[in-house]
Amino acid sequence: MLADLSALFTSGNIRFLLRGLAMTLTLTLAGCSIGLIFGFLLAYIRTGKDPKAAAVRWLAIAFIEVFRRIPFLVTLFLVLYTAQMIVTRAPLFWVAVVSICILSSAYMAEIVRSGLESIPTAQVEAAEVMNFPRWRITLMIVLPQSWKVILPSAVSYMVMFVKDTALASQAGVFELMFAGKALVNRGLDPFVVFVTVLVAYFAISWPLARFGRWLELRLSRRPINRGEP
Amino acid sequence: MNYSLQFGQIEADLPYILSGAWPTLWITFVTFFAAAALGLAIAMARLRGGAVASRLATLWITLTTNSPLFVVLFFLFNGLPNWGILLSPIAATLVAFIAISSGYLAEIQRSGIQSVRAAEVDAAETLGMNRLQTLRFVIAPHVIKTTYPALSNFFIFTMLGTSMASLVGVNELTGRAIEVASRTFRSIEIFLVIALAYVLLSVVASLALALIGRVFFRVKAKVI
Repeated sequence: MLADLSALFTSGNIRFLLRGLAMTLTLTLAGCSIGLIFGFLLAYIRTGKDPKAAAVRWLAIAFIEVFRRIPFLVTLFLVLYTAQMIVTRAPLFWVAVVSICILSSAYMAEIVRSGLESIPTAQVEAAEVMNFPRWRITLMIVLPQSWKVILPSAVSYMVMFVKDTALASQAGVFELMFAGKALVNRGLDPFVVFVTVLVAYFAISWPLARFGRWLELRLSRRPINRGEP
Repeated sequence: MNYSLQFGQIEADLPYILSGAWPTLWITFVTFFAAAALGLAIAMARLRGGAVASRLATLWITLTTNSPLFVVLFFLFNGLPNWGILLSPIAATLVAFIAISSGYLAEIQRSGIQSVRAAEVDAAETLGMNRLQTLRFVIAPHVIKTTYPALSNFFIFTMLGTSMASLVGVNELTGRAIEVASRTFRSIEIFLVIALAYVLLSVVASLALALIGRVFFRVKAKVI
């Protein structure tokens, strides 16, 4: 056991694992931030009421409902094989980012939608009476209030996703779990290596989860003004 | 880019792949109900247990909700054999899934139990109900009604999560897809088929859960 530990904790191995850790964070941050932007667009389209845009709205709903019901692993393999069909030697980092994007934009769309819908309709109707176009209502009236609802959920979703990115190692993407598997393949004791990897995931996930809860408490202190006495 | 989708080549394998839905379903059911029972015990330990039990329950919830299921599964399957504990793929899957899910389900049920107000229990006592009647007619309906949407979400979540079991060699939907894909090399077609299968399974599960909620627990749930 002690020999296994000292075999694992050489400076080279530690640096290797830390590089994997940084990659896990990069993947999550890149995938979920782009996902939040696309999710916002999807939610904006989904909550629209223009009858001329009905076809686009149904497409957005279909995208959201379908990709929330496909396991990440299956999405990942589909993106991987499709990318390999289009280009030989597809860059695996981008395969992982794209699959995280697809999944997170579907979930983020629902998070953003619940935020957009948390604003009292009277405010929106008043702006409509004054002939504001929809994008200005969203930008100037709805978003400045609803970000308090959106942000905590988006952050806690991102924190959840840190753990799911471990699956990307299965497609050959270099991140924390991949680094762990590579060390096992080099002949290190799998028990010690996977416990170390678990501790590393816990060390990212726990502080981030606490930050998410703090953010939620902090932002919910002043609720949205619903115009009630 | 000269690839054309050819579903004809996998037609013979389709019944085999799609019958992988049965292992997916039973793993989901076993995991969900075992973890819900364990989660209820943990939630009770956290709320009503003594100082030690409540600390242990909190520790368990923190540990499980912050560990990646996939890494835990790999640890159980590949890490433990070195210490002389050999788990079969299905045993490793069930242990990992039930352990991790129990933390999440404990938190869901805790928030449900905490939402019961003391006034409701007092009112039941005033009406002359004994403890069992209070539990049956006051506490349980309230807890189920408040936690039902979160629980049914978690059920769907568990169903999608079971695809990870394929990576330690369980022969469920994704496992069979990987197996046939490595034999026929029609990967895109096969994964499109099982993606559709997961969508159908989870839509049916959502509809069934919404119906059960409406009929038995008076929960009005939206499906889409």
